[in-house]
Amino acid sequence: MSDRPTPAELAEAIGEFLSGEILPTLADHRLRFRTLVALNALGILQRRLAELPPEHDAEQRELAARIRDGDVPAGTVARVKADVEARLRIVSPHYLRQAQGE
Amino acid sequence: MIADMREALQAVLGPVSEPVLLPGGASKEAWAVDAGDRRLLVRRAGGGVIHRHTLSLRHEFEVLQAAHEAGVKVPEPVAYIEDLDGREAFVMERLEGETIGRRIVRGPVPEQLPLQMAEEIAKIHALSPERLPFLEEATIDRLVVELDEVGEPHPAIELGLWWLRENRPPPRGPVVVHGDFRIGNLVVDESGLVGVLDWEFAHLDDPVRDLSFSLVRAWRFGADHLRLGGIGDAEPYLERYNELTGLDVRPEELDYWELAGNVGWGIGCLTQARRHLTGQERSVELAVLGLLGAEVEHEICRLLESQGVT
Repeated sequence: MSDRPTPAELAEAIGEFLSGEILPTLADHRLRFRTLVALNALGILQRRLAELPPEHDAEQRELAARIRDGDVPAGTVARVKADVEARLRIVSPHYLRQAQGE
Repeated sequence: MIADMREALQAVLGPVSEPVLLPGGASKEAWAVDAGDRRLLVRRAGGGVIHRHTLSLRHEFEVLQAAHEAGVKVPEPVAYIEDLDGREAFVMERLEGETIGRRIVRGPVPEQLPLQMAEEIAKIHALSPERLPFLEEATIDRLVVELDEVGEPHPAIELGLWWLRENRPPPRGPVVVHGDFRIGNLVVDESGLVGVLDWEFAHLDDPVRDLSFSLVRAWRFGADHLRLGGIGDAEPYLERYNELTGLDVRPEELDYWELAGNVGWGIGCLTQARRHLTGQERSVELAVLGLLGAEVEHEICRLLESQGVT
């Protein structure tokens, strides 16, 4: 899976939201402190994720280019759908369950 | 800043209440303001970079005027203001009713809503292009360019584009289209459709493309069994549209353009995520769209299967 945002970029976006939009609205000291702790933990997660090797997308690129050229043998949709379902199991399992339940 | 804006609005509208910023995106601001007993909405440019292929607020206001004159249900346009505290803006009536898609599909859905949607979109497609000379024609070829600009491999979207190239129905139009006609951009109350909003994507195009956009699964807001925006079946909507326009749009054309709508929105998810990634508009909501596009890709595969493609 090569899609962006990468996991590290996603963690970064959440961190920006919490520090930029949520933290300034918190008046309660205890909640402010706990939010800062959570932001710190999220920073750890983001840096760990950034260390992971980038995922290879060569196979998907080749497949995409072949389809662009009109090379679509029988079975292509099934193969592509299986790849999409693998991504959905991570990003939207609820959607996948619903779509498969039809 | 709010005081300056209020002053600038008073110069045009007379005494107004203090403007209140409504929640929404960063590319356009929406302010609620009252002038006496008139409930108004101020649509004002945001600080961020403007979308490509969207109308300027001046042109959007002109489209709204043309639609209003033609009897399309829209908020009454009130005034265009070139410089409202440093940015372009226009003022229109603030309609009462529901716009949140999830709440509309949860129901109770007004019985007349599907037919009312057909009636309004038929009126939109009858607007005179000569009245709106700045509108540009769009074709689905533009989708390929947008996908290439993203630069990520997405075989499901490529499959959709391939099928669309191979199965193109005879073109219709071009006519004036809304460009984003769907649940979520309509104001609805218990009596049905109150107004059509968000005209920034208006352009010239095949009318059936516009007609079919409200069938795209993403705009059914979870009520997936109801093909027309989670609120009804497609057949009565199509029938009423054909009756009013005298066109004989076939169900297969709806199928074709529904798939095209999914391909367009699948690419739209990727380009929206770029707004976040490039820093034009930092937002978790936009970022996550880049990944949730997989839902749309799944739907593209499902629709291809229903066309007998394996």
